[in-house]
Amino acid sequence: MKVDRRLIVHFDWVLLGLILLISMAGIVNLYSTGSGFAPSGAKTLYMKQLYWFCAGLGFMLVAAAVDYRFIVRNAYWIYGAIMLLLLLVMIYGNTVHGSQRWLSLGPVSLQPSEFAKIGLVLVLTRYITDNQAGEAYEIRNLLVPLGILFLPVVLIARQPDLGTALFLVIVAASMIFFIGVKRKTILLFFSAGVVLLPILWFCLKDYQRERIFTFFNPERDPLGAGYHIIQSVIAIGSGGVLGKGFLKGTQSQLKFLPEQQTDFVFSVFAEEWGFLGALVLLALFLFLLLWGIKIARNSRDLAGTLIAFGVTAMMFWGVFINICMVLGVLPVVGIPLPFFSYGGSSMAAMMIGIGLLMNVSMRRYILQP
Amino acid sequence: MAKERVRLTKYDPGTFRGRFDVIVWIVFLAFFFLAGKLWFFQVIRGDELKLRSESNRIRFQEVKPLRGQVLDRDGNILVDNMPSFDVSMIPELAKNSGDVLERMTFFDGERTGRWKRQLERNEDRKPFVPVRLERDVSWQNLALIESNAFHLPGVVVDVVPVRDYRFGEMAAHILGYVGEACCDETDGGSPEAYRPGDMVGKTGIEKMMDQELRGASGGEQIEVNVNGRKIRVLGVMPPRPGNTVVLTLRADLQRICWEAFREKAGSVIAMDPRDGSVLAMVSKPSYDPNLFNRGISGEAWRKLLEDPLCPLQNRPLLGLYPPGSLFKLVIAAAGLEEKAVTPEKKTFCTGSHVVGDRTFRCWNRDGHGSVDLRRAIVESCDVYFYELGEKLGVDTIAWYARMFGLGKRTEIGMPGEQEGLIPSREWKMRKLKEPWQIGETVSLSIGQGFILVTPIQLLRTYCAIGNGGVLFRPRTVDRIVSPGGETIRELPSEVERILPLDEGNRKFLLSALRDTVHGERGTGKALRELETLGVVACGKTGTAQVVKLSQEDQDLEKIPYKYRDHALFVSLAPYPDPEIAVMVVVEHGGGGGSVAAPIAREILMKYFKIKKDRVHPAGTEVRTSAGAGGAG
Repeated sequence: MKVDRRLIVHFDWVLLGLILLISMAGIVNLYSTGSGFAPSGAKTLYMKQLYWFCAGLGFMLVAAAVDYRFIVRNAYWIYGAIMLLLLLVMIYGNTVHGSQRWLSLGPVSLQPSEFAKIGLVLVLTRYITDNQAGEAYEIRNLLVPLGILFLPVVLIARQPDLGTALFLVIVAASMIFFIGVKRKTILLFFSAGVVLLPILWFCLKDYQRERIFTFFNPERDPLGAGYHIIQSVIAIGSGGVLGKGFLKGTQSQLKFLPEQQTDFVFSVFAEEWGFLGALVLLALFLFLLLWGIKIARNSRDLAGTLIAFGVTAMMFWGVFINICMVLGVLPVVGIPLPFFSYGGSSMAAMMIGIGLLMNVSMRRYILQP
Repeated sequence: MAKERVRLTKYDPGTFRGRFDVIVWIVFLAFFFLAGKLWFFQVIRGDELKLRSESNRIRFQEVKPLRGQVLDRDGNILVDNMPSFDVSMIPELAKNSGDVLERMTFFDGERTGRWKRQLERNEDRKPFVPVRLERDVSWQNLALIESNAFHLPGVVVDVVPVRDYRFGEMAAHILGYVGEACCDETDGGSPEAYRPGDMVGKTGIEKMMDQELRGASGGEQIEVNVNGRKIRVLGVMPPRPGNTVVLTLRADLQRICWEAFREKAGSVIAMDPRDGSVLAMVSKPSYDPNLFNRGISGEAWRKLLEDPLCPLQNRPLLGLYPPGSLFKLVIAAAGLEEKAVTPEKKTFCTGSHVVGDRTFRCWNRDGHGSVDLRRAIVESCDVYFYELGEKLGVDTIAWYARMFGLGKRTEIGMPGEQEGLIPSREWKMRKLKEPWQIGETVSLSIGQGFILVTPIQLLRTYCAIGNGGVLFRPRTVDRIVSPGGETIRELPSEVERILPLDEGNRKFLLSALRDTVHGERGTGKALRELETLGVVACGKTGTAQVVKLSQEDQDLEKIPYKYRDHALFVSLAPYPDPEIAVMVVVEHGGGGGSVAAPIAREILMKYFKIKKDRVHPAGTEVRTSAGAGGAG
């Protein structure tokens, strides 16, 4: 296979550098959560995350190498494969903490819902590029995307993983709104939402409702559901300006902070590195997002713009929702912090997303209008 | 490639330029919001949340202090601490707790099942929290656990300090005992309040001096993880052990009194009349205060409560008796002070005295003949005092009785002290709604009837006669000494009042008491043996009637125990400046002179023998020369 020399020349080193910085910070942070009095299983999580990151670099290169137009052409196949995986999860999946999210594949377990995020970005890109009318969407343009969205959302919500299901809705909505929707249609959706919300409320499981209650008032149940939020805020706040120092966060080292490898990984970082450390991390994420927007902006075709925008939106909502969650601004819905939270599938999916960004970034000089 | 080309030509980047600007703004705003929120928590609320994280991880663990010792006045240990051993199991260290428990077969009885239930009951606790299996394990079992430690993982032995009452039942009532704080003792949020589980003095010196003995808890500041498991010790504040309480008691004398009292029930008190110091205090029957150390068993407690002789009662302070002939001295003092009688005044005792239609008999049915006041005291002539009492009247008698400290608490400071009762016209009208009868005055004159006093009250009255008329508050604690051995404070004797007694009258009364022992036909002649040690003693016998019995029926063995008279005896020695006073009460013992006086004799004999040995020990010369050396 002949590789275009221009691809190598235009390789996005800035993006790679940013991802290396953020991921290394994340792995170092995971090392901290595994030190001290952590159970033996948690001690080696940072190593596993490092392996996943290395594997992710491979996925990233593959995702960058294959022309994104080829990928978009086959988006429905990719979508179909992921739906199949979600169905398999429903049948054969492993249950952890009461929800069935993982597929065992030999030594590794896979969380297809993480890959569904990428799949959704690709399939929407395909649909929009096929149906670009040059004007804002109305109801009839939205029926197919709604159908595309409906299937994974229902499958994931039934695991149950309401957070990820909603996350898919938010990413899809971001892309649709980016293309443009008629004001009349927006109003229609809004009023439909107002009607549907109470119905949705009755479909929620008890623990989900409990989470929403405690979100509004964490002190209501300080030892139960509110405990997570209270301990997270204590961890973040007690870090102060300069932080308690690496491996010295008492909230995390003594395990007062729950779920500190996954949902509350940012609280560990904020406790040990303080306000200044958290600002540096936020700045890195901000830089990454602006870089993604730049790639979307500079793309030579709509497909590239939509892929780059979708992946960037996915990262933005991941960072924003997760940090809002640990700060007590949003209910705890189980959205991981990209490149930080422990999770092989999340890491792999994010690296594939970065690969797609690079894909668009590298090809902006090759493709001529 | 044609298809892509078409799409590319359709694409106009300009369409989205404005949207990208909006998106960049949204991203900036979102991150500004996150940074602001972080600023709020980490900078503005940082200090407050830091405190909360500290209170999360730092616990304060109480370290209980060692209770203070109780010593006698010579420094002999009366109450000390000794280790008691508890066996507990830490479930997480025992891989299979059931198997481990099965292996502890050297404990007798059906214990394994109980231990297993104990563990099950505590199953929801953290696995590193020890579950107590046995309290107060024997040395033998302890040794077996230690030597089999390898096969008993998770089994741990805790050392718990408990009280060691060296004198056991010999000094149970005065020293008291400790128990777990409960009920009102744990009330209130003050730092002095007891916590449930604290040991607190329940009676006797243990209760009276609890504030000195208890000490102050120390603590360990420990870091814990979310499960409450101790991670490390951050700081230690050692507990302050309780102070040592030095009593006025003499351990040797306490033992002598205990051993001299061989009767079923009653009490002995020895006091120094010169300052009111209690030298010994025995109450019988008694109990072993060591039983209370780790919580008394329900069965043992019930047995103590149901015993008809009430072994828990501290008789010297709580026992109420009619004073009998011991009251005659109060009548005599009142008569002399009121000038109703002179020492020379004589009365002819025929053996009985008639008031109205009632006849009051003298204990000597044949009569004493012509007796003066001295003989009336020495031979305890009832008729003489019937007449004198009648002349004084009940209210004058009551006034003098109260002046001598009878019918009111001595304020010795121990729990439960009884007040007693001195009857008067006003009292009878108020309580019984009946006027006072003259015959009741006659009974009162020889200490019978309504009157009730405690042994310590009576002893104090006689001490006042012996010491020049000073009524001291009984003193049990001499000084408080810090654990390091420095005297923190001394508790000097307290004068309650100086009796307005004519010194001549007092000396007369004391000499009459001397003659009661050493004179002819004295009722206290049992004490004459003290003459062999060159000691002149004073004494007074008393026989307190429990029920009125006909004179013919005086054979002690034939009377049911509970109807027998109480035998009382009080003595002071040496005359004329007594340094020891002994009060003996033998409940249902019979006659004071024949039952109680020999007990007092034995105590005083031993007391003065010890004193003689102390003053003239084998190495007198050495002491003298040492003293001379010191002086030089």
